[in-house]
Parts: sequence; structure tokens; C-alpha cells
Amino acid sequence: MRQVTGLTSTYSSDEFGICSALFELGGLVVMHDASGCNSTYTTHDEPRWYDMDSMVYISAVSEIEAIMGDDDKLIRDVVSAARELKPRFTALIGAPIPYMIGTDLPAVAGIVEEETGIPSIGFPANGMGLYTKGISMALAAVTERFAQGETGRSREPSMNVIGLTPLDFSLNGTAESIWRWAEALGFRRGACMAMGSSLDEISRAGEAHVNLVVSYGGLEAARILERRYGTPWIAGVPFGKAFAERLGQLVLEAAGTGGREMAAYRSVPRAGAAGRDPAPNPARDAARGKESPLLVVGESVYSASFAAAVELELNIPTRVLCPVDTEDVLLREGDRRTPEEDDLIEAFRGAERVAADPLFRQLVPETAEFFDLPHEAFSGRIYDRVNRNMVDVPLDGFIFGGTKAPRGKGPRG
Amino acid sequence: MNQNALKIAVYGKGGIGKSTICSALSLALAERGLKVMQIGCDPKADSTMSLRAGRRLPTVLATMRERKDDFSLEDVCLEGAGGVICVEAGGPLPGLGCAGRGIITALEKLKAKGVYGRYSPDAVIYDVLGDVVCGGFSMPMRSGFADRVYIVTSGENMSIYAAANIASAVRNFGERGYAALGGFILNRRDVENEREKVLALCGDFDSEITGELPLSEKIREAEARGKSFMELFPKSEEAECVRALSRAIFT
Ligand SMILES: Nc1ncnc2c1ncn2[C@@H]1O[C@H](COP(=O)(O)OP(=O)(O)OP(=O)(O)O)[C@@H](O)[C@H]1O
Ligand SMILES: [Mg+2]
Repeated sequence: MRQVTGLTSTYSSDEFGICSALFELGGLVVMHDASGCNSTYTTHDEPRWYDMDSMVYISAVSEIEAIMGDDDKLIRDVVSAARELKPRFTALIGAPIPYMIGTDLPAVAGIVEEETGIPSIGFPANGMGLYTKGISMALAAVTERFAQGETGRSREPSMNVIGLTPLDFSLNGTAESIWRWAEALGFRRGACMAMGSSLDEISRAGEAHVNLVVSYGGLEAARILERRYGTPWIAGVPFGKAFAERLGQLVLEAAGTGGREMAAYRSVPRAGAAGRDPAPNPARDAARGKESPLLVVGESVYSASFAAAVELELNIPTRVLCPVDTEDVLLREGDRRTPEEDDLIEAFRGAERVAADPLFRQLVPETAEFFDLPHEAFSGRIYDRVNRNMVDVPLDGFIFGGTKAPRGKGPRG
Repeated sequence: MNQNALKIAVYGKGGIGKSTICSALSLALAERGLKVMQIGCDPKADSTMSLRAGRRLPTVLATMRERKDDFSLEDVCLEGAGGVICVEAGGPLPGLGCAGRGIITALEKLKAKGVYGRYSPDAVIYDVLGDVVCGGFSMPMRSGFADRVYIVTSGENMSIYAAANIASAVRNFGERGYAALGGFILNRRDVENEREKVLALCGDFDSEITGELPLSEKIREAEARGKSFMELFPKSEEAECVRALSRAIFT
């Protein structure tokens, strides 16, 4: 059945993608939605909620306000809250109710800005889009609005990381590992969009020599910086030794020559392709005999980087299945979009090896080997215990430590 | 998109003659060599019928329901008389769904598919359903769509009342940067003191009668024959009225 998720979970929504991307930037973030929706976000999608202050609110729109299209109430509430809290910006986020009644949030934001003098952005989210779209909208809007003005390149080479949120990367140290990798290449830390950087740092994003796009959500922002400052971008996450090295080379080249924009993994030949024969390794060679590819499920840049790392290092063929928003430029040939649960069920038929969020186990044949890649945007905190920073996990150990995964079992330690 | 393109939205009470006037105006602008696009924003999807000899076009929303995003502009933008590009937003069945939301979705989809760049029209006319009864019907006057709103009215009280409502909405939306009121179009029903009544309405909104059309047998006849009177009676007084209107709107 189309557009039905009967056996697994659903991904986080566009609303929450926006909240997540804006969480650390000092803005007054208001979801224009019925009271209660905030707790969905804070409970399932925001691991920073208890440890970090952020002005994320819900407007608590009522039935009668919705029917009467009472935008004035929203405007008054936001204006008075903004006067009190003095945020760096305000963000008004759409949800199912304003979507259905056609609330023009960009126009409402314009009025709020007029009245408060605080930069205000209206987001036409509707709660039906995916978090990937939300992150993309939010980072693009922040970049468009704040990363402007004349600026030269920093004296030392520096890098921005764009598209980093707990929804795709959790709080398991991946962010820090990416920065360490960048520093080892000789880059100074630029802005991170959007974990660990202030709005001021982001507004100087034009100084960086190169942008590393680590998820679909960062692509649009990187394109804006490319148009505005001519900054090249490279997409990829430095998983595995060999792929991290290759990604590093491409990033250095791009930073040096202002070279070409691309997803680093797209240049990785498929496993088994001629001309590549890594040194003998019994475990790997045993695996190589198998024809069935490792299916990697998840966000495109994350999954395709991971897949490329596995191919380069272990010479195991892979295929990425991407259930969330992406573009062809962020997938390798042969990778697929699988927006529907049915697409995945079909793709899993006969699969022998799958790396995916543990909740997908329900769909995978019992005989298949299953590798846990918990994805916060899909299963929230359920698998926190097994959610590892994959940049630091040696791939051999990960893949060859996989187990047959019987259905219905909870997370393994 | 042609930067100086004329983008207008035509509103007015149900049945007052919006679609008749929009189609005639499209043809009058096309006569002047302009590339015109007429977008019907009404679930009835009958705005462009007289430009297409009564042939229906696949509406944007029906096409979306069937094919999601998997269609091209050519599937929903069809040429009609005078080379006018005809588009119908469409909408749910009467009594179901949400027509207003439908208008928003259809116009956003057209924009996302780059309709204004692809056809680069010199004039875009949005023909909008009856009264502005919910958020969706203000879509054509939101930023990025029409720049000016024209309201069709006769001297009948109900029509003037509806026109005043719409004009107030336009005024209230002023602070949002929506379209401005361009003026009123008088479509005569020959009621007593018709002109005076409409002029009084204009006074209330600091506006004017931009153009005017007589109550006409020819217009009825043309409708019965499934064409615009501009095509069937190009030399008529009625056609001249529309040409004058077209010059008043777009010099
Ligand atoms: N000036 C006129 N003289 C005679 N008949 C007219 C005139 N203007 C419009 N009509 C007729 O009035 C009827 C309604 O016109 P039309 O469909 O253009 O109105 P509308 O405002 O678009 O209606 P709706 O609100 O239903 O979309 C049609 O039969 C049309 O031929
Ligand atoms: Mg009509």
C-alpha cells in the first residue's frame, strides 16, 4: 500500500528538522501548532533538550483561532515574547493547521520583523514533509539571511561543516570526530551548521575555503555560499580509513583550486571493479565471495559515505536505499530512493546483509546479517546504547561483528 | 520571467462575470502582441473554457493527484485562442476537501515547476473564485503572484457588498506586502443609479472604475456558442470596451 507505514516507524517531520537546525542559534523558534506538539519534538527528536537552553516554543493555536484565521494573536504573542527574550531572530514554523488554513507565515514574519526590528523568518513547513526538508529549509534560510556581507577568505585554510544535526548524527561524538579529521588535514574550524557554532560564526561562513556537506540538509546552504562567495563544497562523511583519506584529498583540492562541487563517494568505483585488489585478508576475502550487496539504509550523504567506505576498505559491494529527501547528485549510480515502506520491503527481498536502523529489522529476512546503524530521526533515543560514532569505529570490526538478527528482539549491546 | 510583466488577480461576487471578462481581457492583450497566461483559480475549472472552445483542460490538482510530481508544465498549460496559455488550478469535488488549500497548492506547484520562467508571459491573469472566503483565496494576491487586484462588480447591492468585502481584505493585507487594489471593473446589470453606486464604492476605497462593460445580448450569445465575444464579435462595442480596459490596466 502506498504512503502507509505499517511495520516500522516514520521519520521526523519538517517542523522538527527546522527546530533541530536552529536549536543552538539563539533564535526564538515558534511552531505554529496545537499545544502538545512541542513535546513530540523534545521527547523524540531533540537529545539536547535537557542539557542546553533554547527558545523553542509552540504557539498553541486553538480551534477557534484556526477557524477564524486569527493571525493577529500569533503576531501579538510572538512580538511580546520577542521583546522580552530579545532573541537573535525569530522563526515561525508552519504545521498541519496553518498549512490547511493557508497561513502565510513568511508574511506574518514580515510583520513581526517590522514591529520588533528583529530579523524574522517564516517557514512554510506543514508537518507532512520530512525532517530532511526542514533542515534544508532552515540552514538555507539562515545562510541566506545571515551569512552575507563582504568577507575575504581566512588567512589559514578553514572549513565549514554543513548539515550536521543530532537527527542524523546523534550526540555520540561524530561531530567532534569530523572536526578532528578536518584539523588533521590542516583546516581551521569554520562554522558548523548547526551544532557547536554561534550565529555570529555562521554569519562569517563566507571566510571558509571549503564547505563539507554532511547531509542533504546542508546542500542548499552550501549552494548559497557557492553563489555568494564562490566557496566550493564537497559532500561526504569521513567514515573508514580509505574513504576518509579520499574525502580529505578532494576537500584539500577543492579548497586549493576552488575546484569542483561533488559528492566524494560518487568517484569511488563500485566494489569488484577492475584495477583494485587490496592486500589479502581472510575475513574480507571470505566476504568478497558473496554476491549479494550490503544494503545501507538512511540519509543519503551518511549512507553513501558509509557504503563507499565499506567498498573501498573491504571490497564488499553495497547499495544505498534512501527513504528521505535527497537529490541525484548526492547518490551514486545504482543507489535508490525508497520513499515508501513498500519500496524497502521489496528491496530487502532476498537480502543477505543490511545495515540500517534497528527498527528496520522487522522488514529484513531472518536469514540476513543485520548491522545496527541507529538513526535518531527514525527511532529517537530507543537505540542510544548501540548508537556509535561510526567515524571512529573500524569498519572490519563493524561488518564482521554483525549477527543474524531475529525479529522482534530489542537492541543488542 | 519578464520583469515588467503585468500580474493581476480578478475577484468579484460569484457569477458576476469574472471569467467572461478575464478571457476577453486575455484576448485583448494578446491582440496587442503580448504573451498572456490566464490561470483559473476556481475548483469549477471553467475560467478558460471560452478560450478553448469549451474543451476542458487537465487541472493542476487533478494531475497532481494522479501523478504526484511526475508531470511537466506542458501537461497542464495548454494554448487557447489568441495563443493565450490556459491553466486551471482545479480543486476538490463540491462539498469535499478544501478548495482554498487547493489553490495554494496548485499555484505553489506551478511556481515550483518554473511556469513563469518557462513561458515568460508579459501578462498573467488570475481568475479567482467568488469571495475571499478563506486563506487560500488570498493566495493569488500574495507576494510573488499578482501585483494588482481588480474587482468586478455591478450596481446590484449584493455585488457591491461582496466587492467591498474583497477591497477591505486587500486593504488589510497592505502591511503584508500583498497586491494593491488596481480598481473596480463595472459589469453592468442596468440597475438604477448603477454608476453612482459603484462610484460611491470607489470613493470608500480611494479607487476608480478602471473599465466598464454593458449588459449585452452578444455576450450571452457568445457564451452559448462556447467562445469569447472578443472572437465572435471583434468589431462590437463590447470588444472595444474590453480593449479600453486592457489599455487602462496595461499601458
Ligand atoms: N456583460 C454581460 N452581459 C451579459 N451576460 C454576461 C455579462 N457578463 C457576464 N455575463 C454572463 O454571466 C454569466 C456568468 O459569467 P461568468 O461565468 O464570467 O461569471 P464568474 O464571475 O466567472 O462566475 P463564477 O463566480 O461562477 O466563476 C455567464 O453566463 C456570462 O455569459
Ligand atoms: Mg468564473
